[in-house]
Amino acid sequence: MAIIKVDHVSMRFRLSADRISSMKEYLVRLVTRRLKFKELWALQDISFSVEKGKVLGIIGHNGAGKSTLLKVISGILKPTSGTISVQGNIVPMLELGSGFDYDMTGRENIFLNGAILGYSKAFLESKCQEIIDFSELGEFIEEPLRNYSSGMMMRLAFSIATVVEPEILIVDEILAVGDADFQAKSKARMLELMGGGTTVLMVSHTMSQIRELCDKVLWIEHGKMQGYGDATELCDAYAGEIS
Amino acid sequence: MKHLNTGKKKLTAVLVIYLLLAVAFYFLGGQQFYVRDAETDDMVKPTSDVNEIYTGSEIRQPFSIDADRITGVTLFTSTYGRKNTCSLKVSIDRNGEPVASVTKSSGELGNSTESVFNLDKPLEITAGDPLELVITSPDGSGGNAVTVYYGSSISVSKGSVDKDLSKDELASVNGKVLDGILCFQVTGQENLLFGNIYWYLATAVGIALAIYELILLYKEKNGISSPTLRFFDAIKKYRFLMEQLVNRDFKTKYKRSVLGILWSFLNPLLMMLVQYVVFSTLFKSNIPNFPVYLLIGIVCFNFFNESTNMCLQSISGNAGLITKVYVPKYIYPVTRVLSSSINLLLSLIPLALVMVITRTPIRIQAILILFGILCLEVLCLGIGLLLASLMVFFRDTQFIWGVLVTILNFATPIFYPESIIPAKFITLYKMNPLYHVVRFFRIVLLNGVSPEPKAYALCLIAALVPLVIGILAFKKCQDRFVLYI
Repeated sequence: MAIIKVDHVSMRFRLSADRISSMKEYLVRLVTRRLKFKELWALQDISFSVEKGKVLGIIGHNGAGKSTLLKVISGILKPTSGTISVQGNIVPMLELGSGFDYDMTGRENIFLNGAILGYSKAFLESKCQEIIDFSELGEFIEEPLRNYSSGMMMRLAFSIATVVEPEILIVDEILAVGDADFQAKSKARMLELMGGGTTVLMVSHTMSQIRELCDKVLWIEHGKMQGYGDATELCDAYAGEIS
Repeated sequence: MKHLNTGKKKLTAVLVIYLLLAVAFYFLGGQQFYVRDAETDDMVKPTSDVNEIYTGSEIRQPFSIDADRITGVTLFTSTYGRKNTCSLKVSIDRNGEPVASVTKSSGELGNSTESVFNLDKPLEITAGDPLELVITSPDGSGGNAVTVYYGSSISVSKGSVDKDLSKDELASVNGKVLDGILCFQVTGQENLLFGNIYWYLATAVGIALAIYELILLYKEKNGISSPTLRFFDAIKKYRFLMEQLVNRDFKTKYKRSVLGILWSFLNPLLMMLVQYVVFSTLFKSNIPNFPVYLLIGIVCFNFFNESTNMCLQSISGNAGLITKVYVPKYIYPVTRVLSSSINLLLSLIPLALVMVITRTPIRIQAILILFGILCLEVLCLGIGLLLASLMVFFRDTQFIWGVLVTILNFATPIFYPESIIPAKFITLYKMNPLYHVVRFFRIVLLNGVSPEPKAYALCLIAALVPLVIGILAFKKCQDRFVLYI
């Protein structure tokens, strides 16, 4: 059963060179008929589907449209054309700690950030201690976030994001945060999540990771599908093109 | 099956709540559902008197009133500061025929002040009938007589403005036409249909509600999507997130300030104090119970100002979240309005305090304020949605809105009485939705009665029109927000 189905999706951006953010500018351009946009197709006619429990790797050069595709699937961006159907809850790990408030304590932020990620109140209450333990913050959890080091902040964010076992996990590069010890721990956690029956969409530039983890691979270049299929085959082709 | 049962339970609960509200509303509404107080224009400023009124003198003042019955007349009288033995007779003429009259002895009249002549039995009239006040004295004579005043201007704070008077409005003394009208005001009542048809209306709405609920139940059972069901699902799904966001707004607002939450009480109180001093000493205003009048205006306007400005930033200020996580975008403006509502509720405490200090009677009808609060919130949400969408595309919106808020501050009767607005601008003036909400608050809290049914309707319109516009604008733009922030 396909848990994610992407059907002929295209995404057009109007480039920022002409982005208008003042009313005067808009009116002037409207009157002088210079209201033209430079268009960029970030995604063009992308179609694929992912079965439940599979891991799909997305590869391609910088600016190929990988992150845009993840955002379209997460529902953050609405595609210009095409449809996407997703069954189940998505946890997007695009950027950790979205919505952290620096004036609130670590504990308060667990609830705020958890709510933003779509966790329920009961779930957070039962998992709160687990999050605190995993983040190794100890007493610091009662301190406002502005007193945290950036490493501590990332540890907390990672702990909140990975406490659930979502049906679909979207990962933009495997997140290894904190010091060496925590990096190892967080990587183990990611692998555990990926192995636990969760459907995963991951973007990575590390071919060894893709070969190791993914069942299938989608290769995008300049917004177009370059290939979709077996991981080893496509990774070889991609590596061949780079060299 | 279990699902169906909870659905039925909910259905019954909603109907029972509706029934209770309908009954409670009827009793809170009281007389105001049947009759509306009506009165002629405010009294003109007394500039001169008509001299002593002797036996045989006759002062005539034409008038008309939009009412179904007349209950009394107020005149500005003077007894020359002495003890007269004479009396003054005020009668109302229709087509030259006297139809009602009141006689008061000089001792009951005020000296250089207003005297009220209440009719023993209300006089039934047809609205707009040309009527005449006729003032005579059965026994007045030189040195033993009273007088009434006339004028041609309305007092406004310290000065006055000329009143537009047509020729057939002018008063006359013994047939000689004066250059003004008497200082008078006729009060009456207008019959309202609403009270008589209330139960029919309430039943009709109840039946409509029940039918709609059945349709919803059917749709839910068969998995058919409907906007109302989606709305309730969204509330269930995002309630916790909204709670957290409101919590954050509220906690961070006063964080690192010494007085913290106390500012929610202090802010409206201090603002009222400043404006009270300014407007009761520098610009004299003769509004009864001015502190409460002023504070109601300030509390309403503060909420409007705060919530719309918070909504304005709600999308562009949460750019970091919107580009990273999917959450329905209306959550952001809605939570902003909710978090300012906490402030609004807190500022009702100093309002209640001032009402107690000024000995304003607090009646059960004060609970109707909840309707006003609801309308105010919906109004702010509507405007907030529109502003939030505009702000994403045009950052100028914040500056334009700053100016517009200042204009609205003056275009709403916050510190002045609405009677100073010239008649020709009144229609335009009443286009301001805030006017209707503030007026509703004042009637409920200052007069302690339910407003006339029309005021409810106007309040609802003032809330729903901006809401519909706001929702349409927001819906149209929301998919493009993420591309522009």
